[in-house]
Amino acid sequence: MGKSTIIPFGPQHPVLPEPLHLDLVVEDETVIDCIPQIGFVHRGLEKLVETRDYNQFIYVAERICGICAMGHSLGYAETVEALMGVEVPRRAEYLRVIWHELSRIHSHLLWLGLAADAFGFESMFMHCWRLRERVLDIFEKTTGGRVILSVVRVGGVNRDIDDAMLREIVSVLDGIKGDYAKIMNTLLTDTSVKNRTVGVGVISKEAALDLSMVGPFSRASDVPYDVRSFGRGAYGDLSDFQPVTDAQGDCFARVKVRCLEVLQSIEIIKELAAKIPAGDISVAVKGAPAEGAQASNVLEQPRGECYYYARGNGTKYLERMRMRTPTSQNLAGMATALKGCDLADVNMIVLTIDPCISCTER
Amino acid sequence: MPQFKQDFSPLSIEAIHDTAAARKAEGFRYVQTLAVNTEDGVDLVYSFMKDGALDNEVASGVPRDAVIPSITDLYLEAFVFENEIHDLFGVHFEGIAIDFGGNFYHLAVKEPMTIISPEQKAARDKARKIAAAKAAKEAKAKKAAEQGGAEAPAKAAAAEKAEAAADAAAKEAELEAKLAVMDPEKAAKVRAAMEAKAKKAAAAERKGE
Repeated sequence: MGKSTIIPFGPQHPVLPEPLHLDLVVEDETVIDCIPQIGFVHRGLEKLVETRDYNQFIYVAERICGICAMGHSLGYAETVEALMGVEVPRRAEYLRVIWHELSRIHSHLLWLGLAADAFGFESMFMHCWRLRERVLDIFEKTTGGRVILSVVRVGGVNRDIDDAMLREIVSVLDGIKGDYAKIMNTLLTDTSVKNRTVGVGVISKEAALDLSMVGPFSRASDVPYDVRSFGRGAYGDLSDFQPVTDAQGDCFARVKVRCLEVLQSIEIIKELAAKIPAGDISVAVKGAPAEGAQASNVLEQPRGECYYYARGNGTKYLERMRMRTPTSQNLAGMATALKGCDLADVNMIVLTIDPCISCTER
Repeated sequence: MPQFKQDFSPLSIEAIHDTAAARKAEGFRYVQTLAVNTEDGVDLVYSFMKDGALDNEVASGVPRDAVIPSITDLYLEAFVFENEIHDLFGVHFEGIAIDFGGNFYHLAVKEPMTIISPEQKAARDKARKIAAAKAAKEAKAKKAAEQGGAEAPAKAAAAEKAEAAADAAAKEAELEAKLAVMDPEKAAKVRAAMEAKAKKAAAAERKGE
């Protein structure tokens, strides 16, 4: 039994894209305890809701995080619509889901590239980001923006996608699918990837349920929880939606779940592009949320369930807006996964959980 | 396929820990805790979910000096939210499993979410004035209705005058709220222009007489 030492990990670390700090209590190269800390980039965006009316705040909401931009604007708009009792046209719901699933593909590909880079596969990182670039090109063609899309508004969407463009999206996705399957198969069958991930950072199903974990992190531990399976909005029209799960609960399972979710998103977009109804893309929203009215909402972001809460005060400014992001929910799970692991595996475990700190600190 | 539904229910401060324990025993997933800054303290909202049913429990008007029992012994993941609420709203939680003691966020201002900004104050005042004007108008209408058809024309005129005054008050309140949000230089200019306009109108009236 060696002496225990505390090793600080982050906020600046080659493997971390964002500032997360971990105090690792280490004994003979084994992590025996871990205390996560955030709070380095807190910006107070929730407070800004007091000085922006509910239509303006949508642009603040999507700037919370560059990767989850579409998800945040969608979650915010849905919450305000629930607060004011607005019914969104069917076509707008379809378009929102198509963009949201595209952003899931781009988020997962971005993460896969970073993960490959951490495994030591620099060329794989280039390939993943090359595919992601094609998704960003779709964004640019359909919305004018590559990262911040600004297409969602309270009551619908700002832009339509015509049939020719929908066909083009499907053909681009078909093209991506072939290339992506090659990358995925390489990654999932490679021995060096397996050596680093199989059996590392295991979270059992019981622990995942106990810690209320969300997103691919919990689905890799066989918890079949996915907000999309509630079938709200256009998700209700999907012929079959089953969350991607894996029973192993280790780093490899988490890589696998995210890999398969990209394929699932491609299928969702193709199905919705074929089924999309004609009609309006937005309704006019008038008035203001009533005083004391409150609404909550959940949405499946690329990293898991995100919770939104809004309260009105009788004016067009909201009294309170709150986003609880998937990463803040998963911090306790991450600390649990790190207990008992090898010091050299810490970066792999942190990365496969895919923490998004700028979302968490709003 | 479970259906999503949400509801809000009241919660007393004393019952927070017991409710969380009951939810845990029933197999609910912990979703989040949030705080809302109000004039009578802080509202705490605890959310739990089971089979698509999102259960939001609202503890209203928690005094700022109250000590709230932590639920991290039941749901460890709540430590993030309890530390966050402590740093941003100044609500004290007792027995947090991982307690940062006020150093969770690196803040320039202490308890920033409890500061009522001029914009929010203006919005609240405006909402209150509009509500008051509306209530006064309704009360007048009710009174007039009670008096029936036998209302004297003078009375009706008086009621109308009062109504117009209430309207003017509401309009003024709205303008004040708008000015409060503007930057001070612009607001001063607008005020000066309005005064000049009022003077001109008064002068014109005098000439007419």
